[in-house]
Amino acid sequence: MTDTRTEGVEALGGTADVIVVGAGVIGCATAYNLALRGRSVVVLERDESIGNGGSSRNGGGVRQSGRDARELPLAMYAVEHLWPSLSEELGADVEYVKKGNLRLGKTEHHLEVLQGLAKTGREHGLDMRMLSTDEVRELNPFLSDEVIGASWCPTDGHANPLRTTLAFYRRARALGVRFVTGVDVLGVRTVRGRARQVVTSVGVFEGDEIVLAAGLGTRRLAASVGIDVPMRGLLIEALVTEAEPRMFPQMLGTADADFYGHQTAHGSFVFGGDSGLEESNGYAGGVPTASITAPAICRSIMKYVPRLADAKIVRTWAGWEDECADGVPVISTVDEVPGLTLACAFTGHGFGISPIVGRLVAELCCGEKTTLDVTAFRYDRFRAWA
Amino acid sequence: MNRHDLIVIGAGPSGLSAAIEAAHAGMDVVVFDENARPGGQLFKQIHKFFGSKEHHAKVRGFRIGDELLKEADAAGVRVELDSSVLGLYPDREVVVRHGDEVFHAKGDAVLVATGASENTLGFPGWTLPGVIGAGAAQTMMNLHGVRPGDRVLMLGSGNVGLVVGFQLLQAGCEVVGVVDAAPRVGGYGVHAAKLARCGVPFHLSHTIVSAEGTDHVTGVTIGEVDKSWQIVPGTEKHFDVDTICVAVGLSPMSQLLDMAGCDMVDDPRRGGLVPVCDESGATSVAGIFASGDVSGIEEASSAMIEGRISGAAIADYLGYLEHEGETRRVGELEGSLDALRQGMFAPKNRGTVPERTEEGCPVSMNLLEHGFLSDDEVLAYPGVTHAKGVHAVIECSQNIPCNPCQDACRKGCISIGENITSLPVVVGDAACVACGMCVASCPGQAIFLVDEGAGDGFATVTLPYEFLPVPTAGTRGRGLSRSGEEICDAVVESVRCVSAFDHTNLLTMRVPEDCAMRARFFRPSPADADEEAVS
Amino acid sequence: MSDEAVRMTTNGASRSFSPAPLDRSRGLGDFVPAPDDDVLVCRCEEVTKGDIRRAVHDGMYTMTEVRRYLRVGMGLCQGQSCTKLVRRIMAAELGVSPAALDAETSRAPMRPVEMRVLGNEEAAGGADAR
Repeated sequence: MTDTRTEGVEALGGTADVIVVGAGVIGCATAYNLALRGRSVVVLERDESIGNGGSSRNGGGVRQSGRDARELPLAMYAVEHLWPSLSEELGADVEYVKKGNLRLGKTEHHLEVLQGLAKTGREHGLDMRMLSTDEVRELNPFLSDEVIGASWCPTDGHANPLRTTLAFYRRARALGVRFVTGVDVLGVRTVRGRARQVVTSVGVFEGDEIVLAAGLGTRRLAASVGIDVPMRGLLIEALVTEAEPRMFPQMLGTADADFYGHQTAHGSFVFGGDSGLEESNGYAGGVPTASITAPAICRSIMKYVPRLADAKIVRTWAGWEDECADGVPVISTVDEVPGLTLACAFTGHGFGISPIVGRLVAELCCGEKTTLDVTAFRYDRFRAWA
Repeated sequence: MNRHDLIVIGAGPSGLSAAIEAAHAGMDVVVFDENARPGGQLFKQIHKFFGSKEHHAKVRGFRIGDELLKEADAAGVRVELDSSVLGLYPDREVVVRHGDEVFHAKGDAVLVATGASENTLGFPGWTLPGVIGAGAAQTMMNLHGVRPGDRVLMLGSGNVGLVVGFQLLQAGCEVVGVVDAAPRVGGYGVHAAKLARCGVPFHLSHTIVSAEGTDHVTGVTIGEVDKSWQIVPGTEKHFDVDTICVAVGLSPMSQLLDMAGCDMVDDPRRGGLVPVCDESGATSVAGIFASGDVSGIEEASSAMIEGRISGAAIADYLGYLEHEGETRRVGELEGSLDALRQGMFAPKNRGTVPERTEEGCPVSMNLLEHGFLSDDEVLAYPGVTHAKGVHAVIECSQNIPCNPCQDACRKGCISIGENITSLPVVVGDAACVACGMCVASCPGQAIFLVDEGAGDGFATVTLPYEFLPVPTAGTRGRGLSRSGEEICDAVVESVRCVSAFDHTNLLTMRVPEDCAMRARFFRPSPADADEEAVS
Repeated sequence: MSDEAVRMTTNGASRSFSPAPLDRSRGLGDFVPAPDDDVLVCRCEEVTKGDIRRAVHDGMYTMTEVRRYLRVGMGLCQGQSCTKLVRRIMAAELGVSPAALDAETSRAPMRPVEMRVLGNEEAAGGADAR
């Protein structure tokens, strides 16, 4: 039986205006934006599936609150201008809900932390304030008595990261972007001082521009042209329940950052969290879950939302956050390697800003003035502390 | 965290066998099972098993289950029921749910023996109530005493479909037919024959077109399939049924092995995703083993031996058994396992149909395509002879590993020999005393005692009868042929229910002489049946 | 992050970690409606055969992608009933053998478990103490 998928696979390799490495939400959103600008694009992905890294493992938060001040403008732009119409634009329901984010506190110290976050937010024009115990409960009657206050950002929300990533992919593919999965990318090669070639296990792809949006894998690839992005992998886990009766629409988080999550369009709850022992958990590779993490996440959740004690968990999973040394991504062309653009190290909060990042990276590639200033995300910003 | 020498996941035949073997070697063994009762699929198996004595031949499945549990208990194996293993990790840790809490436990070795689950088939209407798996029907009938329905269509002619089809009859259901898209019966010919002579028709090269009904099944349409599995227009047949049993294969429940990081392979011949293991069941993760259906769909008999092999290998791995001892033990067990994996239905022979048996007899295509041997075909087999007086007639025509009939006869009338797949030979000069032990011992219910010239133009046929109510002497009825056709009048001469027969009643009926080699089942006449009910 | 090991190859199709390269631009031709497109395949999430076939034509070429796109196999039974059926439908649409498609990653918990139970880890010892 002929495999219609791999006919002509020997002919792999080729040229395009832009070669994008990585088919997560960032790579797919970038490819989509490039296609809108009439560029020919090839996206190369190591996994056999699109978006099988952080893009399909995160908690789906679309939030502005709690972000580093440098990221805030991106998040605010995405929430105001891009997320509300994204489903329509992509022709697929990404399940975007804009019903706010509650970050919960149980102690006075928590409230101080939350006030700090709210203050930073407001300083940057974000609608964010503190809520009293009564106000919190009015917004969300399912919270436990232990909650004494919360920060509240009414314009935050959540969406479905699996659907969003695949929606960008589907639209980009329909616009003519060529996606090749199952390809081991070995490195980037310059030609006459300009990054032009992506060397893979099945051939060489050549383009005027190269975008590296390969999560943690970007580090190795950037290193092949002498660029280092200081990031490391941080394991985090998530769990999902059966569908529950509709409870609350807000995104939830805590001052302790011990869990975060929301109720999806389907009715299930998705929560992310950790056990605190991640750095010492030993793994042979891949993304396995640890036996102690989901129980710990459950205990955290039940302290805040007692009603969920009877919700049944049907699946747990894990993912690697690509944690940048200073907590915000690298979204940057590379002066010393013309033709190369980096979009990586999103430190676990790339999903919420993915629509704008896709546009910004496309603008960088095409030499256009960027919609927002991305100086803060330059590749060469890292300095020793002394 | 509690630590055990060996954690076994699944207290079915394979898991328990492994636990027993390991416990005998001195290991501390705990078995976790998510069910309220142990024994896996064994307790649903009310039929007699095949194989030879070492394989528990002629013993009913649930009794084998009882024996295993006793042995496990005597060996000091702890079986924790209602204990669901939620996760298995590469360092051999398990997370177990019991009641309202979870606990962690660690094994120096872990054996996964979680068995398999039933496949589904997505024909239109498959989600209607009344469409159930054959295994589910078996659980309902044999564990809970609940009839799944009144009129049933069985989809699937492998051993599961055939065995459960017969059990549906025993439970009082009407089985309107056995359907299979394949051109030949997939399971043992003797299982098919049991159904055929009760009047159940076989529709091979057919599949279900659709199930009808609004809120439950009320009927089903089947149609013939061509070589590309497309329905041939005009071949549709409709049946009024309230139940459709689906027996389309099993899939290993290998998820725990996968999550623990074992190398896995998708092997259609083993039923799906199975761990890559060696002959002892060792997977690619140190200390994690797999045995039974989870490592490849076979049957309970081989699952039990695989379990023992793994148990011995684990004992060796953890230093509880000296290596030579283990090698000897495993050698014996592998011999026993190998004996089961021979013959027409051996895993290595799957997909092929021989033209002749090992002895050179023709393999009956009638049996394979319609579920019964034809009258002239039957004489080709060494178990079918003519003789004066009562003699055994063994309608066994396929090489399968099975020999309890040989052991059953104290007079040396039946011979199989060293090779247990050989067809039984009825020895010409031996003197049958009509004790009936052979009839009762045959797991395929394929042995009859026939007196071709009982006198006055009549013959007697003694057949295995496992239905209720048991007819009494004098009951009138009809003799049915191998194809289930009523061919003559018949009268019950006697029915013997002896404990040594283990619930296989021996019904002797008197039929016209010319039906001696044709009548193979008894159906009481309705009038007489009513009298039976009243008396 | 360390590189994953290449899986062994034995009988049947191996689940290799270095999968075969696949060019998604290679179209499958137009989507042709079939009379049985409305038959339910994943009954937990009520996904039909037609939904799955259309998803493949939308570019979802792996089991993982179809699952995330349509929610097949994400319901109560976590794919126990429908996975083999989905695999066969996808394989037919793609013109490959079912064994060539990716297998799902197995995850804990093997059975749905309430939060209050999963969070209730008994202290060392307890019911299972020796």
